[in-house]
Amino acid sequence: MTPILLIIPLAFAILTLLLPRHWVRAIIIPGLVLQVGAAVLLCMEIYQHGPQDYALGDWQAPLGISLIADGFSVTLLALTALIAALCAIYAQYFLTRYPREQRYFWPLFWFLLAALNGIWLAGDLFNLYVGLELLGLSAVGMVALTAEKTTLKAALDYLYAALFGSLAYLAGVALLYGAYGTLSIAQLSDMAAANPTTQVALALMTVGLLLKTAIFPLHYWLPPAHGGALAPVSALLSALVVKASFYILALLWLDVGALAVTVTAAQAMGALGAGAIFWGSWQAFQTRQIKMLVAYSTVAQLGYLMLLFPLAIGVSEAAAQLAWQGTILHLLAHAFAKAAMFLAVGTLVLALGHGRINDFGGVSQRNPVALFAFGLSAVSLMGLPPSGGFNAKWLLLQSAIASGQWHWFVVMIIGGLLTAAYVFRVFRVSFLQSAKHEIQDTHPALQLSALALALMAIALGFVSELPLSLMNLTDIAPATMGGTP
Amino acid sequence: MNRTLRIAVAGTVALGTLYALLVAILWVPEIQVNLPQQVALNLEQSGIAHPITAVLLNFRSYDTLLEIAVLLVAVVTGLALRERDALTASTEQARDPMLHALTRRLLPLLLITSVYILWSGSYAPGGAFQAGALVAAAGVIARLAGYDIASRADVLLRLGLALGFILFLTVAVSAMLGGRPFLNYPEGWAGSLIFLIEAVLTFSIGLTLISLFVHAPGDSSPRGGADDD
Repeated sequence: MTPILLIIPLAFAILTLLLPRHWVRAIIIPGLVLQVGAAVLLCMEIYQHGPQDYALGDWQAPLGISLIADGFSVTLLALTALIAALCAIYAQYFLTRYPREQRYFWPLFWFLLAALNGIWLAGDLFNLYVGLELLGLSAVGMVALTAEKTTLKAALDYLYAALFGSLAYLAGVALLYGAYGTLSIAQLSDMAAANPTTQVALALMTVGLLLKTAIFPLHYWLPPAHGGALAPVSALLSALVVKASFYILALLWLDVGALAVTVTAAQAMGALGAGAIFWGSWQAFQTRQIKMLVAYSTVAQLGYLMLLFPLAIGVSEAAAQLAWQGTILHLLAHAFAKAAMFLAVGTLVLALGHGRINDFGGVSQRNPVALFAFGLSAVSLMGLPPSGGFNAKWLLLQSAIASGQWHWFVVMIIGGLLTAAYVFRVFRVSFLQSAKHEIQDTHPALQLSALALALMAIALGFVSELPLSLMNLTDIAPATMGGTP
Repeated sequence: MNRTLRIAVAGTVALGTLYALLVAILWVPEIQVNLPQQVALNLEQSGIAHPITAVLLNFRSYDTLLEIAVLLVAVVTGLALRERDALTASTEQARDPMLHALTRRLLPLLLITSVYILWSGSYAPGGAFQAGALVAAAGVIARLAGYDIASRADVLLRLGLALGFILFLTVAVSAMLGGRPFLNYPEGWAGSLIFLIEAVLTFSIGLTLISLFVHAPGDSSPRGGADDD
């Protein structure tokens, strides 16, 4: 069952590359239905029968490569399928204005999905590298699609960052292979000890992955790339792609290298996160372009993910578990909310014909659904109840209290206020001012797919138990929690 | 930042990384798993006599499948950014008698070497990637000499680019129809199937590299070409 999640996107990538245009339009929806259906089926299977280990080609690890489907990876698979489906529906209507980009958008879209699914399922460090390459290249390709000068420059910066990040990661993998003779994550987490080789390898991989995740101060490439791409591309990149390298980072620190990481290093990672929250929010508050605001908001929100390390390393089991759950919920909630926000903003920009925040007057009357979707996703980003974002921040705050780390508590509270500050800029203009020029109507599907995603971010606040109970079904539980949490 | 400061920072970072790498290599712990030995033990079962090809196309064929996808993504992106009209090869060059004579002697030689490298992959270093690079070299030379190769980004070109990946994926999936795991080869067929996959991959990899050469945007910024469906 597990490899189906890879076969579907790979097959559709080829189909959309080769079939004539009207056929491509016709098979997108069936492909999405298959993908979501397969992800849900796998979720149910894991829920009933527990985690699965699939030996590809019948070669057992470490000789071969295995796919690991546990609670965490199937939740991410389902998240990916859902968000990608809604972004794809949006893209079908959005791209009618971009006939040339359409031809190449769909193959890259499906390859991107295959790469994401491959990373969630990978049980092998080198295979993660290949997954990162596929992910990075298809993401860069999607950013560059419009072939305008600014997006090309953004795509090139993104490409260099992605390549350098991959190289640093690969160097770490090579060191670990040289030291332990295996690439299997399960084996390495049993063997990896606190020695210089492991620590240098982890440091190299961490730098590479921080660059790929765009964590402050290595975030320079993200705002132009995410802010300059087509709206559905921005949504996919901010919601899913940066999470993949964070997922690998968490895997390395809490599982593979759990014995080699130190509390000081974890606190330093938290400091980077705090820097990201403050700097990203401040830039979002300053910028004039709405898409750049949302992109800088991503920089800030990624900072919360980094708080996992200080909150889960070197603390009591209970506090670590709270941090882990909070981070997972934050990852899910941010994915829904940020995808919704980019889609909503894309619709507004389409209607207005520009993205200057100061000229956003009147959209509250002419485009209420898109603005409502923007507002709902902002609720989750700010961490107001009821929303997935609220539950996530609540768990993270509790974890900070449980381990007595008040400084992170303060960081999160200030971060929430800063988020409110930059989000309300948009509302102030759109409600208080009237339209300065003509606002076009947009296709309802554009507004509704954004709204659906935003509603999911809110709904996550009511069904947080579901992903968290799935999470408990895991082999790769962080070692700090002493086996299964 | 001024130049001197930049160089100083870069130098410090480079030296620090070098020091860390030296420490990592000098204090490397004793290795616990012996993968080369496991490869040797399973070599007979893999259907391939050379360990590297066995690892690439059998033990870790999943990695290779995704690597082929990476190549495909690269060329799809290249096509998306190409000039509106690919430069058709100049006929001026074709009339150059020296170039013409050289090309006519080089092309067969390159193609024969490529087939040899592909064939030798089953018992010596070699295989689809190296052979594909030679095919690409032949294509680039032919292109420079004025032959019109891969200049139309139509469905035929896209099919050629994807052919290797399609075959690989089809073989991998067909295993599941027979109730075996994804990417497993049927008993006794591994050797010939791997050779078939490698042969088609050679063609597709070669075509991929040629297309990247032919469709690379020139000095002017790319505007993206119209599609030929």
